[in-house]
Amino acid sequence: MAKVKVATVWLESCAGCHMSFLDVDEFIIDLSKLVEFRRSPITDIKDFTPVDVGIVEGSVGNEEEKEVIEELRHNCKILMALGDCACFGGVCAMRNTLDKEAVLKRAYIDTPSTYKGKIPVSPGVPALLDKVYPANQIVKVDCYVPGCPPEPEAIKYGLTELLAGRIPVVPSNIMRFD
Amino acid sequence: MSEIRLLINGKQVKGKQGDTVLDVCQANSIDLPTLCHYKGLTEVGACRLCLVEIEKERNLVPACTYPARDGQVVLTSTDKLEKYRRLVLELLFTERNHLCAYCVATGDCDLQSLAYKYQMDNARYQYSWPNQTTDSSHPNIVLDHNRCILCGRCIRTCDEITGAHALDFGKRGWKTNVCADINQPLGESSCVSCGGCFQACPTGAIFSKISAYRGRPSECTSVESTCAICGVGCNINGLVKNNRVVRIDSPDMTKPRGLLCEIGRFEPLYEAADRVTTPLKRNNKGQLVSCSYEEAFEAISRKLGACDGVAGLASGKANSEALIAFADLMDKLGSKMVDTLDGDDCRTVSQGIAKFDSKAGLDMEAKLEDILAAECIVVIGAHPTRTHPVIGSYVMRAASKNKAQLVVIDPLRNPFTFRASVWLKPPEGNKELTIKALGKAILDHLPARAAGDKSKYTAAFKETDVKKASKDLGIDMHDVVKAGEILAGSKNGIIIYGSGILQYKDAELVATILNLAALIGEKPRVISLKRYGNSRGAWDLGLVNAKGSVAADLARGKARGLYLLLADDLADSQALADSVKGVEFAVVQASYRSPITEKADVVLPSLLWTESKGSYTTIDGINKQTAPMVKARAEIKTDADTLKEVARHLKK
Repeated sequence: MAKVKVATVWLESCAGCHMSFLDVDEFIIDLSKLVEFRRSPITDIKDFTPVDVGIVEGSVGNEEEKEVIEELRHNCKILMALGDCACFGGVCAMRNTLDKEAVLKRAYIDTPSTYKGKIPVSPGVPALLDKVYPANQIVKVDCYVPGCPPEPEAIKYGLTELLAGRIPVVPSNIMRFD
Repeated sequence: MSEIRLLINGKQVKGKQGDTVLDVCQANSIDLPTLCHYKGLTEVGACRLCLVEIEKERNLVPACTYPARDGQVVLTSTDKLEKYRRLVLELLFTERNHLCAYCVATGDCDLQSLAYKYQMDNARYQYSWPNQTTDSSHPNIVLDHNRCILCGRCIRTCDEITGAHALDFGKRGWKTNVCADINQPLGESSCVSCGGCFQACPTGAIFSKISAYRGRPSECTSVESTCAICGVGCNINGLVKNNRVVRIDSPDMTKPRGLLCEIGRFEPLYEAADRVTTPLKRNNKGQLVSCSYEEAFEAISRKLGACDGVAGLASGKANSEALIAFADLMDKLGSKMVDTLDGDDCRTVSQGIAKFDSKAGLDMEAKLEDILAAECIVVIGAHPTRTHPVIGSYVMRAASKNKAQLVVIDPLRNPFTFRASVWLKPPEGNKELTIKALGKAILDHLPARAAGDKSKYTAAFKETDVKKASKDLGIDMHDVVKAGEILAGSKNGIIIYGSGILQYKDAELVATILNLAALIGEKPRVISLKRYGNSRGAWDLGLVNAKGSVAADLARGKARGLYLLLADDLADSQALADSVKGVEFAVVQASYRSPITEKADVVLPSLLWTESKGSYTTIDGINKQTAPMVKARAEIKTDADTLKEVARHLKK
């Protein structure tokens, strides 16, 4: 049987979900026999190729992240949102109660340690979106594994179900939002 | 009440007439999700999670407000209902900024548990991300509107249980928010800081500053105990983690003595002062140094036993076991000068009762729960909201919920005065005449037959001229007459008096109050506010000196030796240190270093009430037990054991 191709992306978040994924212990050995990781922060492959499962960690807060998630959606059959940021907006969404301008001013000018700060305008720096969005408000998402970070058990459950050809819904007893 | 039968989920169940569908479900262990429902509060049907399908009903109805009827056919868990419940949850999560990852309530949140239950792994709606504020102006309580679901549990608790009604909804529609008073910062509002709101809050919208992030209930052990700080004796549930009390909750706020106050909820969480951790003994250079229990007992036996005239003073903060051991020790020392720190209060109250009715004792005083049932409440010279806040809440609840008429006799403004039907404001020190004038005004309004029945109580008031008395006191005669009219119509009026009366040490005044109480009820109901958690226990044990104040004797230098059982009492320390004269050898048994321990020759450590098991008698004579919530951080004997050891070491 051909290996299932998986791509993972890390958008606006702390990488904790990927860390938690590595916390599944020996399951990762079984998993490596069944799946092949393509584009992922773990493999350090940067280009997209069509895959079966796309996994998105993090929320969408700037132009680049929006582009990445759209490209991932375009290239995968099933998209899984991993972690609170991708599912709900998470910690990154704290800025949503404020204007984008206020956030930038606070970060680049008002911070006590900043001297003569300036809001970056270079085209090389992706512009912030007006708000930080959970994945499902930008693209269609097929399944979710919430948690900050998700329990390794929940990640394991999500992947096992996907490999079995089912769409996972994390059971109540291992679902966490914290 | 007649029984009704319903068919819920195809199962025959029984309920009572007047029950809601939710009541019947809960009584029959049928699981229904709820958020705005809180046991003991009125139902508002705000959250729509308990929606059920009822046969022949056009819409889904909330079970919490829908009356159960005989023959009703109810479904509590259908695909349609589950779909709507999940929808409600998603709406709640997207309405405000519910970010569990850094919320104080995570792991202890009703909203979160329901989201887990309904496997809500995403929200299909646009988030609103409103710019809500956080009000942290209160020293102990934070109000974070970001996490509020507007269920109103805090508001109803504040109003219906605490009786303060400091919280309510402000603004309208989308902008609705919980606000204090007229949208003032919580710290500047009329909030009584009882903490009922954060106990009732299903999310992290209201929380206690000191308990925040110190441990989730799942990480804590829960200890059922009694608050021993004042004489109300509230039931408490201490959450303990790593040998620290993290939070104090009420096991059931709606039950009698279930409501807590600012003092009980927060005071045990703070370390008040320097602890005495080992016995201390004065050395040759006159310094207090740490020593073993044996050395301390030996010194006490040698010096205190040799003193000519030993006085014993106990604080009403010590538990009954310690007080019994204290009485035995003083007996062994042959001391005639044994008293409690509030002995004067006890003498005044007891003598007052004896003057009123020679056969009656302290047991004639009313139970605290009688306040809730009273039609009229007279508060004389007492500030229960400050000294016994739960009694204050009872009074406010009676006034607001039961429409009890409140008459306040006090020269100073207190939280009752603005709710009072009549506030009589006599000049300081002139309460007796006011009470007599009030008594006469009541007599004037009593129907002739009733006045005849009460003839033996009227002697104190008959001679008073209301008009002249009012003029002398500088109060409006119409107020007195109005109060008299209100009280004359009462069948179960109650009088609460406290330090404002007891400070005069006038038993006659107490007897007058009892006579007044007899006029406003079928039997006289009074409550005297006693100063300490176990005052009544000490009084009942007969520890109070019948002849006169031993503290006064000490101030006159009449004793050579002194044994002072302070326990965790800090309040009286300075006054005692200033007044005690001529004592050659003093032993102080206390939890904290204080001015009086610095003057002592031997200091023995004492456990806090949170660290020990003990009996306490409430103001109204109910025996309550404390359970140790934490272990003392030093090897400290219980007060009773220490006192027994001291007695054992005394030379025969």
